[in-house]
Amino acid sequence: MPSWIEQSAHRGLLTSRYPRVPASDAEVPTTARPPLAGPEGRAAGPGPDRCPVGAIEGVAVDQGRCIRCARCLADGFRFAGAVESSSPSRAALARPAASDAGPDPRRAPLAGLGRSLHLFLVDVGSCNACNLELLALANPLYDASRLGLFFTNSPRHADVLVIVGAPTEEMAEPLRRAYEAMPGPKAVVVLGACGISGGAFRGNPGLRAGCDELVPVDLYVPGCPPTPVQVLDGILSLAGRGRGDR
Amino acid sequence: MSRIRWREEPREQFELTPDRALAYAAPDGAFALYNDYRSRDSVLIRRPAPVLPEEVDRCWREQTEGASPRGLAPRETVEGYGTFTFPYGPISMGVPESGRFDVVTYGERVLELTPLGAYKSRRALPALAGLPVADAGLRVERLAGNFAASHAAAFLQACESATQTPVGLRELTVRAVGQELQRIYNHVHVLARIAEAASQNVGAAQSHALAEEMLRLQGRVFGHRWLFGAFLPGGPARRLEPPDRPHVAAALHARAEEFDELWELFLDSRTFIDRIQSTCPVPRDVAVRWGAVGPTLRATGVPWDDRLRIPEPPYHDLFLALPDERDGDALARLLVRVQEVRASFLLLEQMLDRWPAAGAAAEPPAPPVEPGRGIGRVEAPSGDLVYDVRVSDGRIVGVAARSPSQANWPPFAFGMRGAVFTDFHFAFESFGLVFAETDR
Repeated sequence: MPSWIEQSAHRGLLTSRYPRVPASDAEVPTTARPPLAGPEGRAAGPGPDRCPVGAIEGVAVDQGRCIRCARCLADGFRFAGAVESSSPSRAALARPAASDAGPDPRRAPLAGLGRSLHLFLVDVGSCNACNLELLALANPLYDASRLGLFFTNSPRHADVLVIVGAPTEEMAEPLRRAYEAMPGPKAVVVLGACGISGGAFRGNPGLRAGCDELVPVDLYVPGCPPTPVQVLDGILSLAGRGRGDR
Repeated sequence: MSRIRWREEPREQFELTPDRALAYAAPDGAFALYNDYRSRDSVLIRRPAPVLPEEVDRCWREQTEGASPRGLAPRETVEGYGTFTFPYGPISMGVPESGRFDVVTYGERVLELTPLGAYKSRRALPALAGLPVADAGLRVERLAGNFAASHAAAFLQACESATQTPVGLRELTVRAVGQELQRIYNHVHVLARIAEAASQNVGAAQSHALAEEMLRLQGRVFGHRWLFGAFLPGGPARRLEPPDRPHVAAALHARAEEFDELWELFLDSRTFIDRIQSTCPVPRDVAVRWGAVGPTLRATGVPWDDRLRIPEPPYHDLFLALPDERDGDALARLLVRVQEVRASFLLLEQMLDRWPAAGAAAEPPAPPVEPGRGIGRVEAPSGDLVYDVRVSDGRIVGVAARSPSQANWPPFAFGMRGAVFTDFHFAFESFGLVFAETDR
C-alpha cells in the first residue's frame, strides 16, 4: 500500500529556487510582466478608447492601473518589463522608465526584522484572485516559510499588512482598525491594480481610488493579479533583502 | 439537537420598562437575569452601562444592525438561555475574503448562522451599462477571479444570444477547455482547503501543489494564470494549436494520474473521512426548495448539470458521467468534486482529441429572450451560473446575474444549524462559496 511518505518522496523536490535563480516562464506567464512601449516606440500610441482602463498616455503605461488585458499588443506594446516590478512610489509606477531596466531602488522599512516576517491579509474588495495568489506562497512550489515569511491570523502578530482589492466604503473602517492594531515597526503592501488605483472598477460609486487614501502604503505590487513570485519579491524587499543577498 | 427549539416567526420584543428593570436588576451587577413570562425562558439581558465608550457602543451597533451589509440567507430567530450573536468577520484569515457571519450561539453549538455580504461590493454590475461588450467582459471576469472562465463564457453567451452573433465551434471549444481547466483547479483547491482544515498537512501541501500546477498550466495555455481576457477579442495569445496541443494533453495526463494517486491516499485516511462525514448536511428537499446548485445539489442525489441538461456546443457531443452521491454532507460534496475532476480530465481529453477544424461551421446562438436581450447559462465550478444581458448597438444596456454562490449561501446557512464551531471551515470550504460573486 502506498503511503504519504512514499508518495512525497516519489514526487521529489517541487520548490522553486526563486530568489536565487531568476523566475522561469512557468512561474511568470507572459501577461504577468509589465507592459512597455515597443522598440519602435510609437509616439502616436493608442487612443484612450483602446485601453479599457485608461492606463496608457502616449507611450507611457501606468503600471498601477494596467489590468494586463493585452489589448495594446496590437499597437506595438509588449509584455517585456522586468519580472520584479514593485515600487514604493505610486508616481514611479505611473511613469516608469521606458526601458527594460529594473525599477528604482526601494526602501526597506522592516530591515530590522530580517529573516522573519508575519503577513496579515486584508481584502477590501477583491475578486479573490489576489487573495489566492498571496496564499499560494504557502504551497510547496513557493514555500515562503523557507524565506521566513509566515501567515498570521491576527493583526496583533503581523509585521506586514497585505491589502488586496478595490477599497470599498464598507471596508475603510475595518482596514483602518486592522492597521492600528498592528505593532510597529510595520509595513503596508498593496497587491494588484484594484488596490493601487481601483483597477477595472475605478470610478464605481462607493469605491476609493486607491488604498493609499486610507492607510500609508510602503509598497505597491502591480499586476492583475501579481504572480506569487512578484509578491514574494516585493515583500522581501521590505526587509531590505535585495535580489543578490537572500 | 432535539432540545434546541426553533421558531419560524420573529419573537415579540420583551419590553423592559423601568420598573421591571428595577425589579429584576441585580443590585450591583451590570447584568440582570429575569424571567420572560410569555416564553417561560430564562434570558440574559444586557443592561446598558451608564458610561459606555462611544466607540464600543458604535462598534456593537454597526456589527449587528449596520444598514449596509445585507444577509445572504434567510434568518430565523433563536432564543433560549444564554444565546447571543457572535459576529465573525469581516476580516478573518480563516476565510480569505472579507465578509461577516453572524453566529447565534450559547457557546459551542451554532444555533443559527447568517452570512452577510456587501462589505466588499464593488457595485460592478450597474457600472457595466454603456460599456462595449469586450470592455464589460474584462470587468465581468473580475467579479470572481477563480471562476473567471465561467463568468466570461456565460456573459459572452448572453451577449451573443442578444445580438444573434454566431460563434465558431473552435472558439466555443476553447471556452470549454478554459472552463474545465478552471473547474479542476477549483475542485482541487477545495480539497486542499478541507485537508488543511483537517490538519492533513502532507495531503494539503500535495493538493495545493497540484492546484498550483493547474494554474501554471492555465498560464502556459492561455497566457494568464486566471484566464483573464482569454476569451475576449485582443486577449493574450493562446497556445492550443499544433505543436502545443500534444504537450497540453501530456501535461493533463500527468496531472490526472497525480490526482488519482493523491485521492487514493486521502481515502486511506480514516480521520480525514470521519471529520467531513455527516458534517453540515443539506437534505435533498432543502437543497431543492432553497435553490441549491452545482456540487451542493448533486451531492443530494439530484442529477442536474447544465453541461448535460442544456448542452451548448461542444458539450452536446462529449461524454460526461454524472456523479452519484446522495448524503448531502461535506463528504458527499467532496466526493462529487472528486468525480467531477476526473470527468473534466476526460472531457479535456475528448476536446483535445476532436479539435474542430478551422473551417468548422459557426454555431447559431440561442434565440434571444426578446430583441436585444439574451440569457447565458454555464455550469461554473460551484454550480449553475446565469447571465441576463441587454445589449444595444454593441454596448451594454443592463446586466443581471445569478451566481452559484448567491444560490448556495442559504443551503450553507441551513447546514450550519446545529453544527459546532470547528465544523465551520469544513462546511464553508465544501460549498466553494465566494463573497466576491455576490457583488451587484
